[in-house]
This record gives sequence, structure tokens and C-alpha cells, in this order.
Amino acid sequence: MTAIAFTQILLNGLALGAAYALIALGFVIVLNAAGAVNFAQGELVMAGGFVSIAVAPLIGEATALPGLLLLPLVMGLMGLMGAGFAWIAYFPVRKRHQVAVFVSTIAAGLVLQHLANALFGAAPRAGPPLISGNGLTVGALSISLQQIAVMVCAAVLISGTGLFLGRTQTGRQMRAVAQDPEMAAAIGIRPKRMITLSFALAIALAGAAGLLLSNQFFVSPNDGGLFMLKAYIAVTIGGWGRLDGAVIGALLIGIFETLVAALTSYLVAEALLYALLLIMLVFRPSGLLPERARARV
Amino acid sequence: MSDPRSRLALGVAAIALALYALFFAGDYALHVLTRAGIYAIAAIGYQLIFGRLGALSLAQGCFFGLGAYAAGLGALELGLGFPLTLAAGVLLPSLLAALIAIPVLRLASHYFALATLGIAQLALLVATNWTDVTGGANGLYGVPPIETGTLSFGHGLPLTLLVWACVGLALTVSHRMTAGQRGLKVETLREAPLAAAALGIDGSAIRFRFFVASAALGGLAGALQAHAVGVVSPDVLQFHVLVLILAMTVIGGRASPLGAVLGALLLVHLPEWFRDFADYYLVVYGAALLAAIIFLPRGLAGLFGKSEMPPVETADAEAPRDPAPHTLSVETVSKRFGGVTALDSVSLTLAPGEILGLIGPNGSGKTTLVNLLSGIDKPDGGRILLGDADITGKPPEYIARSGLCRSFQHPQIAPDLTVLESVEAVTAEGESAAARVTEAGLSDRANENAGTLPPAALKHLEIARALAAGASVLALDEPAAGMNEVERANLAALLKRLADAGHGILLIDHAMDFLLPLADRVICLSAGRVVAEGTPADVARDPAAINAYFGESPL
Repeated sequence: MTAIAFTQILLNGLALGAAYALIALGFVIVLNAAGAVNFAQGELVMAGGFVSIAVAPLIGEATALPGLLLLPLVMGLMGLMGAGFAWIAYFPVRKRHQVAVFVSTIAAGLVLQHLANALFGAAPRAGPPLISGNGLTVGALSISLQQIAVMVCAAVLISGTGLFLGRTQTGRQMRAVAQDPEMAAAIGIRPKRMITLSFALAIALAGAAGLLLSNQFFVSPNDGGLFMLKAYIAVTIGGWGRLDGAVIGALLIGIFETLVAALTSYLVAEALLYALLLIMLVFRPSGLLPERARARV
Repeated sequence: MSDPRSRLALGVAAIALALYALFFAGDYALHVLTRAGIYAIAAIGYQLIFGRLGALSLAQGCFFGLGAYAAGLGALELGLGFPLTLAAGVLLPSLLAALIAIPVLRLASHYFALATLGIAQLALLVATNWTDVTGGANGLYGVPPIETGTLSFGHGLPLTLLVWACVGLALTVSHRMTAGQRGLKVETLREAPLAAAALGIDGSAIRFRFFVASAALGGLAGALQAHAVGVVSPDVLQFHVLVLILAMTVIGGRASPLGAVLGALLLVHLPEWFRDFADYYLVVYGAALLAAIIFLPRGLAGLFGKSEMPPVETADAEAPRDPAPHTLSVETVSKRFGGVTALDSVSLTLAPGEILGLIGPNGSGKTTLVNLLSGIDKPDGGRILLGDADITGKPPEYIARSGLCRSFQHPQIAPDLTVLESVEAVTAEGESAAARVTEAGLSDRANENAGTLPPAALKHLEIARALAAGASVLALDEPAAGMNEVERANLAALLKRLADAGHGILLIDHAMDFLLPLADRVICLSAGRVVAEGTPADVARDPAAINAYFGESPL
């Protein structure tokens, strides 16, 4: 493989990984806020893709930046959906076993999947591009504008999320609730409000990922499962509950998939990813990196 | 299923179903009924691992699909006949389950779900792409119908009857695994895994059995499906198969095998009834699953009420036997967490009949010591002996069976079991659980659910369980915390009686007015070291102990 080809693959992998990182980041935010896995995270990415397609006519073909202009709108709508999602699929089973949340989010994902199927049909559809235009060529390296836009958008959103959670009062309150809801309530933070906000943020990020992926990779109602699985694996690699780890894990998966697929086939890349995951869980049953918190007896 | 009311319900339902199949169902209705029976078997299996043990296995659809492939390949490639193809269908997934059980079952719940999902995805990829063997995306065609000698179960009523006979078999297997004390053990294991281990319940063995049994029943269902429809395609390994089985279990009822059958009947028939909704039917299906998990935590079976065990009289219970007395010796035990030394070369002995008080400020290592004694954590150095037996670093269930049991700061109980059932779960054969309940002063509450007990009674329940599990040495972690004067006096009287009967008791507490009069000797820990040891009066005056509690005097 030439250096150029390698760089090209790395670039493609990074763009894919950047979109995965948004999904994984949302996955972890819900994980920390709710203490449970959101199995519908993938379907929410898919929903974000279809919402983008549905609202795309508002902008029209004329503008040069259709996706970029749509992004705030899509994220806003998905954020609202996220708040609703929390109240329908999470709060009613909050006090029960973790497994109940698993099942309720599987069910919610099922509803989204079949709703998309009934409304849009099973065939893959292309979402709006972030930027129209072809791209540029640097030497023998061809870079699509789309890919650059995906990476820049993801980077901005990820750092924005990091700053929001780390530096703002609301973000600190959300983290406080994630760490200990009872203690947070005792110092005057309203846990339900913060958890709702966490869901909204997480699902807005999933929606953004849906828009980012929808042009290059298309979107179809049955895509959700794979997105969810990638986020789940990314969070396992990156350390259960760690925001930074989730982003790194997702980037690694994106690069791994693209690289192995280029060397062999997409199929092998997929199988190898699952096999490596299983091997990792055999040798490191509590994840690759240390978990955020350890249960007390 | 053992009480007369459920038996009656089962009988009536079975007869109604048989009458429907024999006299009212047409060809198509029989076909649907067969499908429902096949899924009922998979759901009964799934209930064992998901419902009973609470482990979210995402591989049940995979086991179902592997069963179908094994039966199909057995018939087409190896020329196996009818009973053997079913055996192949049961065997392949069971083997896979047994192979992955050890690494997978020890994972925390979120990694267990992910690992089983990863295995299911791998199986799907293999089935879709190993075209030479599996026929790839097209799958296997022409799996022969079930025939044996002159009997043909190819389709229609004979097939329906065969499948439902297998449902009966699955119900029997499930019943045998969950009836009586076995069921109580499993319930304790699911709701309070730490306590289960600390009471001698061998969780790994139970999880292994249940996981393999769930795979076997999933495989049986898949094998029947292969024969019933004649085709096996990668579709049988898709995620939606798992979701369907999961939905049947959740909607029917987590812990009731009849609920699983009901769920299967309902979910297989629903699409027939809701044909007019077309694409939106599946949306309704998802919404129904969501509604079931929110509004029916016990599923449809919960609507018919919990099958109660008859209340047990506790008054005439015979006096329980006391276990052989053991001396507990802790020799220079140390434990580090990362860079923090939680325990530094701690030694103590506890003789039969003695109450040893263990005091020290928060973070001084008291609970860590109990965790090491009970095997929940492993020491980094030193030895722990129970009598002559070295129990250092042994698993909790081994230590419990050797005669050392503990209680927890936050009681670990199965809330839906009654007091008597909770104790029954760990009582040795031939012993009386009722006697232990009486001994712990809980006979008035024997038939109340553990989840509704006040805190003080929970502490007594933990002690009753430990006694039932055969403990000669008890390690009690702050049993009097949050108790009022009367409750403390009751607890003190109980502990005195137990010590007089020969039990050694290691008693952690912060309440000195409770602990000092009760203890024969007291040890004070500070920052992981023993700083004072002696009679209660001596330790109470010991400057090192006072310093440990109150720090350097600021005055």
C-alpha cells in the first residue's frame, strides 16, 4: 500500500469514526445520566437521518450549504424527541432493574424502526450533503469537501459538548446528577430535569450523526442496530462511562473498519471487530480501560 | 405451578387448546398454532436465563437459528432421520452455550448483553457468508418433514400435536429447574447475588445450567421450525427473532412458564388479527412491548396473581441443630486498592461462643476485613483459617459452606420472597427453615414479603439466613445501624443467645453503648491497622482508640 493510499484510508476512517464518536458520546451521556444502556441509540441516529431528509425541502437545492444550515434544526428537533424519549422509555422504569431499561429502549427502538419503515419505505435514501461541491485534490490525495465538513462538524460538536459539560453550570449539574442523583437533589439540583436534558443532548448528538452519515452512507430504517453496536463497542473499548474514552474508541473503530475493509473486505472487517471484542472481554472482563466508578459493597 | 389453583388453570387451558386444535382449527389456524408452539418453547427457554436469572442474553435468537441450521444440515447433508435431527438441533446450540458460558457469564450485565450480541452477529455473518455449507443468503431448501416409520408429522394436526408435546416437555424441564427450593435459590441469586454467594449458593453452577438449558430449548424450537417450514435461511439468526422471543417473555410474564406460552400464542396470533394495519402493525407491536414493560412488570401472568405458597406454621418448629464450632484466625492479612493500603497486617482470633467487637472510624478497613473474610475480595497477604481449614482467597460460596457467613451494611434480600422462603432458600436438606425463623425472632413475620420488612427485621432476616446456611461464625456489618432502643435490645439478646449456643460473632458497630456491653473483647482499627485490643473497658480508655475516633485533640 502506498503512503498516499494509506493516508486516503486514514482520512476516510477518521471521517467515519468522527460520526461514530457523536453516537458513542450520546450513548455515554445517557449511560451516565440514567445508569443504563440506551439500546435505541442506533435507531435515533437513523431517525436523525430521516428527519434531515424530511426537513431538507425547507432549505431547497439552491444554497451551497444545505446540511450545515439544517444541522441546528435537526439537532433541535431530535433534542425534543430525546426529552420525549426520556419520559416515555426511561422514567417509567427508572426505579426498576437495569434490564428493564434495556428492554424498554429496545421496544422504543423497534417503534422508531417500524415507524420509519412505514413512513419512508425500506429502501435506502440519501440525505442532504453538508456542503455541495466536489472537493479538492492535494497532490494525488483527493479529499471530498463532504468528508472535511463531517470531521469539522463532529469536532466542533464534540468539543462543544465537552465544554458544555465541563465549564457551564448546567453541565456541572448534569454531571453531578449522573454521579449521585440523591446527593445532587439534596443540594437543590432537580435530577429529573437534568436527566431529561442529558437525554435531549445525547439524542441531539445522535441526530447530528444521522445527518452527517446520511449523505455518504445513505439511511434506511434497519440501520439502527449496527450504529448502536458500534457505539456500544466504542464505549467498551474506551472505558465504561468515560466521555473521552468513547470518542477515542469510536475513532479507533472507524479507522479499523475502513483499514481492514480496504485490505480485505467489509465483511471481514465486521467479523474481526466482533471477534476482537469477544477476545477483549475474555481477557479484560471489566473493559479495556478502567471504569469510571466501582461499586461499593 | 405446584399449588392447586395453577394446576387447575393449566389443565383447563391445555384442554381448551386441545379442543380448539382438534375440532375448530382449520389448516391455516393449525399452522399458526404450530408456530406459536415453536416460539413458546424458545420463550420458555429464554425465561430461564432472562426471566429467572435476570441476565439479558441477546443470543437466544442465535441459539434458535443454530438449532434450525443443525437440524437442516443434519437432514440434508448427513441424512439423519427425525429424532436425530432434533437432537442435533438441541446439541449444537447447547455446545456453543457451554463453550462460551465460562468467559461470558462472569461479565457484568452490560458486557454480558454485548458479548452475547457479538456472538449472535458473528453467527449471522458466518451463516450468510459460508455459502458452501449454509447455502449463504439463500439458505437451505427442502428440509424434509418429520416422519418416523409409518407415522408422519409433516403438517396439520399431527405436527401441531408433536410441537405442543414438545411444549409440554419444555414446561417440565423448566418446572424441574425452578420448583421448590431450587426456585428460591435462583430468586435469591437474581435479586441479591452477593448475599447468595455469601450464603453458599453456587451461582456459577446455576448460571451455567440455566444458560445451557435456555440454549437447548432455543435449539429445539429452531429444529422444529426447520422441519415445519422446510427452509432455513439466515433470517432465523436475525436480531428480530431475539426481539420476538424477548417480547413474548416480557409480555407473557418474566417468571411464569405459562405466561411465556401465553405470550407466544398472543404474539404469533396478533399479526393475523391486525392484518388491516399492514406496516403499522409492527409499530403497534413495539408499542405493546413498551407498554408491557412499563405497565405490566410481571407480564400477563401477573394479572392472575402470584401463586402463593401455603402459609407455614412456625410455632411447633423443632430446635435447630448447631453447627460444629470453629475458631476463626486471621493472620497478618493485608489488602491494597491501587496505592491505598486498606488493611495492613491485621491479625485476630475469634473463638466459638465469643463476641468480638470491631470498631474504628469510617474508612479504617472494617468492611474491607469482612469482605476478605467472606471471600468477596482477595487478600494481598496473610492467611485466614476457619478451624484448621485455610480459607484464604477461596470463593464466597466455599467460605459460606465452610461455616462463615456475613451480613451486609445494606441488607441484600430478594424482596418478593417471604421471610420463610428467603430462609428456606439456603436451608440444608432435612433442616427446618421455620425453626431458624423462630430462632431469629421473626416467627410473627414469617409469611411477609422480605421487601416490606422494616430495617430492623431485615437485619434479623440476614442473621436467620446465615444460621440456616450453617454458619458457625457470623460476621455482622453494622447490624444495629438505624435501630431504636427496643430493636437494639432485641438484637443484643439474639446475639447473646447465639454466642451462648457456640457461635463466634464478629460484630462491627459504631454505637458504643450497644457494642461495648455486648462484646467479650474489642479490636480497634485505624487506617487499616489494629491500634487497640482488649476488654471493652480497656479499649474504651485506650488513648490510641480515642485518638483514632476523634483525631488529635484540637485543644
